[in-house]
Amino acid sequence: MYIGLKIGKRAMAESISIQENNLKTGKVTYSQAVWQGGALLALSFLLALSINQLRPERLPLTGNWSIKDRLTTPDGDRLDISFEEAKKLFMEQSALFIDTRSMDEYEKGHIPGAHSLSWHDVDRRFIEVTEDISPDTLIITYCEGAACELSCDLALFLLDMGFSNVRVLLDGWTEWNKGRLPVEKGNDVS
Amino acid sequence: MLTLSARFILGGAFVYASFDKILHPAAFAEAVYNYQILPDELINLTAIVLPCLELVLGIFLIINFWMPGTVVICNLLLITFIGALLFNMARGLNINCGCFSTTAVESSMNVLTVLRDTSFLAISGYLLYAIFFYKK
Repeated sequence: MYIGLKIGKRAMAESISIQENNLKTGKVTYSQAVWQGGALLALSFLLALSINQLRPERLPLTGNWSIKDRLTTPDGDRLDISFEEAKKLFMEQSALFIDTRSMDEYEKGHIPGAHSLSWHDVDRRFIEVTEDISPDTLIITYCEGAACELSCDLALFLLDMGFSNVRVLLDGWTEWNKGRLPVEKGNDVS
Repeated sequence: MLTLSARFILGGAFVYASFDKILHPAAFAEAVYNYQILPDELINLTAIVLPCLELVLGIFLIINFWMPGTVVICNLLLITFIGALLFNMARGLNINCGCFSTTAVESSMNVLTVLRDTSFLAISGYLLYAIFFYKK
């Protein structure tokens, strides 16, 4: 009985000691987390700014990301085209559409007559796709999604490559489907 | 051993993810812009700082330095990444993840991207448990 009480007392004392120790350790760990987290963020910030300063082509700390600026050429021309305007040009067959989404997405459905030139494949397929296109042809690039960066990137690339009449139909594939306009499947054109 | 593996896997992933973004800040800024979450004024700053934060986190995880702070930031960062991915998938934005590469070669974000980040969060969560709770 006496031995049992002694063991129990010792176990309880040990348990309290462990709890106190854990509490102490815990407090240290939480406070460590706070100051280390803050120091880590500050260190990363300083490192990032230093690397950026040393870069030959330094990225400005704030940039102009408005759609208007992104779709304006250095000459001041706007590249974006309205859906209604694109629809009219499609009906008149006076523009060539280029689908900048992936080939898989293109094959599932695209604007009738559109060529497929995914931005992902532009290095490999640019010549193949554009060899029959005259430099003054009105080209309308499109992709899917509000950001639609692929069509903007391709449009700027085509301008660089000497195509003088390039426009971007923002979020084109979504707009085309919303407008219930004809859709073609497969890859006969590309 | 498990903690060591978790540190190396997560640390390696963070270091690997940071390289391309540090080398191509303009392309990464484009990827940040495409998420359409941050105000325009913060896009470049995020594109400059975030890759270095990933690099520092990755190195600290590997060398086992400042672990409480490192692991807390890792968890917060991964939760933010997953939140941003889910938010944009829910609103149907078709953009590149920009997670490991700034080039268009990386496929658009999808459920697998979220699962990959969730598996990293699981590892990071385990490290959080190991540091803050397991010792007790």
